Amino acid sequence: MVTVSYRQPARPQGAPAAPVARRRGWSDQRVERVLGALAVTVLVFIVGMVIFVFANGWPSFRENGLAWFGDPPGDLTVDQQIFDIFNSPAREEFYEYALNTWPLLWGTFLSTAGAVVFGVVFAVLAAVFIVEFAPPAVNKVLEPVVRLLAAVPSVIYGLIGILVLVPLVDRVLVTDEIKDSVAGVLTIDGSSLLVAVVILTVMISPIMIAIIVDALRGIPRTWTEGAAALGANRWRVMWTVSLRASRPAIIAAVVLASARAIGEAIMLSMVAGSSGFAPNPLDGFLFFLEPIRPYAATIVDNREGLTVAPFGDTIYAFAAVLLVSALFLSLAGWAAKQPLKRYGVQV
Amino acid sequence: MRKTRLFLTALVVVSVLAAPAGANAATIVMSGSTTVYPLAVDLAKAYNRRTGTKFRILQGGSDVGVADAARGRVTLGMSSRDPKAGDPGGITFYRIARDAICVVTNRARRVSNFSRRQVQAIYTGRVGGYDIFARSAPSGTQDAFQKLFLDPFRQTSAARLLGSNGQVAQAVRRNRRGIGYVSLAFTGGLNVARYQGVGCTLRKAKSGTYPGSRNLYFVSRGQAGGAAAGFIRFARSRAGSSIAARNYVPFR
Repeated sequence: MVTVSYRQPARPQGAPAAPVARRRGWSDQRVERVLGALAVTVLVFIVGMVIFVFANGWPSFRENGLAWFGDPPGDLTVDQQIFDIFNSPAREEFYEYALNTWPLLWGTFLSTAGAVVFGVVFAVLAAVFIVEFAPPAVNKVLEPVVRLLAAVPSVIYGLIGILVLVPLVDRVLVTDEIKDSVAGVLTIDGSSLLVAVVILTVMISPIMIAIIVDALRGIPRTWTEGAAALGANRWRVMWTVSLRASRPAIIAAVVLASARAIGEAIMLSMVAGSSGFAPNPLDGFLFFLEPIRPYAATIVDNREGLTVAPFGDTIYAFAAVLLVSALFLSLAGWAAKQPLKRYGVQV
Repeated sequence: MRKTRLFLTALVVVSVLAAPAGANAATIVMSGSTTVYPLAVDLAKAYNRRTGTKFRILQGGSDVGVADAARGRVTLGMSSRDPKAGDPGGITFYRIARDAICVVTNRARRVSNFSRRQVQAIYTGRVGGYDIFARSAPSGTQDAFQKLFLDPFRQTSAARLLGSNGQVAQAVRRNRRGIGYVSLAFTGGLNVARYQGVGCTLRKAKSGTYPGSRNLYFVSRGQAGGAAAGFIRFARSRAGSSIAARNYVPFR
């Protein structure tokens, strides 16, 4: 159990006592208790939420076991399974739970990993530019814009995607031959893995840029000046000193960005294709045009059906998986930072 | 401090006054069709404002609604299908609105008529040439489409499963190969095909000649009485019909 204690540091000898308010205000002790109680409330709330989600999702895991994460058998698709669960008979003995969510898991992984990989490269380069190369005048505009972008609601990105990018991809990249080649198996119409990854990258990059910029700014001047004095040019100093020392911050940025990408629902529900399909990398170019539907988007698309008992359980199961992945992400981030501590690198 | 105390006193007074009112008001429990559910919720909100009647509305498919009503588990069941032979005895269906589903294509592809056969061929994936848009599992429109157009076949997994009528309309509007199905209210800017030779219009749906339309019902055990009867009267009234008219073919 976590004990929460925010004790005041001891007052140094000779320091003046806190001025006595004329109206009786709150003493430090009371503030401490109130804040402590608040902190504990938050903790209780989070624990309660995790228990609630898991308890509700449990029947779905119990009935499917590890096959929950597997590939649907035979001709069945995960979407058909979801339909069957929704149309379960009304009696509890006959509830339908069979579900194999590999396509959704794969879709979640592809969109998140794709966006984070592209995003981190872009963010590192952008951060280096902002910190080291950009003229101050440019920075004055660039930095506020980056921070503003980080706060844009995802539904706006979704709208841009569905109104601009999806039709564009449909017109430019998707030919009728492509559509006919998959007729009856897939509907290829522009909303795709490609658009999902592109928009997700744009969405998560600003957070990463902001974090990495802060880290690069925090590098002690003596380190970079030392390197410069040894004859390294600015790019080399960045690459060999500043970025190296900022690795923990880059990891933190990746973790935060992945968490946002995994949990992104509305935007992906709008542009990713709304099809429980697992894109196959062996399909070549088609791979990028194939539709996906990650867990979070599946929850959004099916939220109407929560009151149907087995269907609600299934949706909670998706939520439970998302919660666990968030937990594992922060654990992985923590673990990745450990080796760096040996070099005395602090974030 | 004084203000806080005043506020607390006010709170207690209000809750004491409110408690008997809440205890007196009847509660109507409903379950059933996901198609009727949004309509029932809208009607219930309006009726609650007028009479203070409380509602608890659960969804779970028409058959759940009929079965629950027959067993007396709920005050009213909701059904988006007509009464059928196998239904339990002693229940009454009250028609409250109608719902029509139109098959739509992009304006660039002016299909004037679809037969049931053609719709089935496209939506089971046997015939290509279309980008197929459908609705996600909990959608009432999806349920109705399955029963009125597709039955006994199963929709192809190639279909994009979108979250709302509006999304389907938007997707078909921008895609020249698009085909979809939407409720009557969402056909703007689209080519609305006749189905089995009958136009998908409010008038044809009202008269019942359009084969893609169906009745929406409240179901009660025996004759509806008390609060339930009042609610059904409200649903069929001019006020209730104007609420239904937003997305359905109203009773009046």
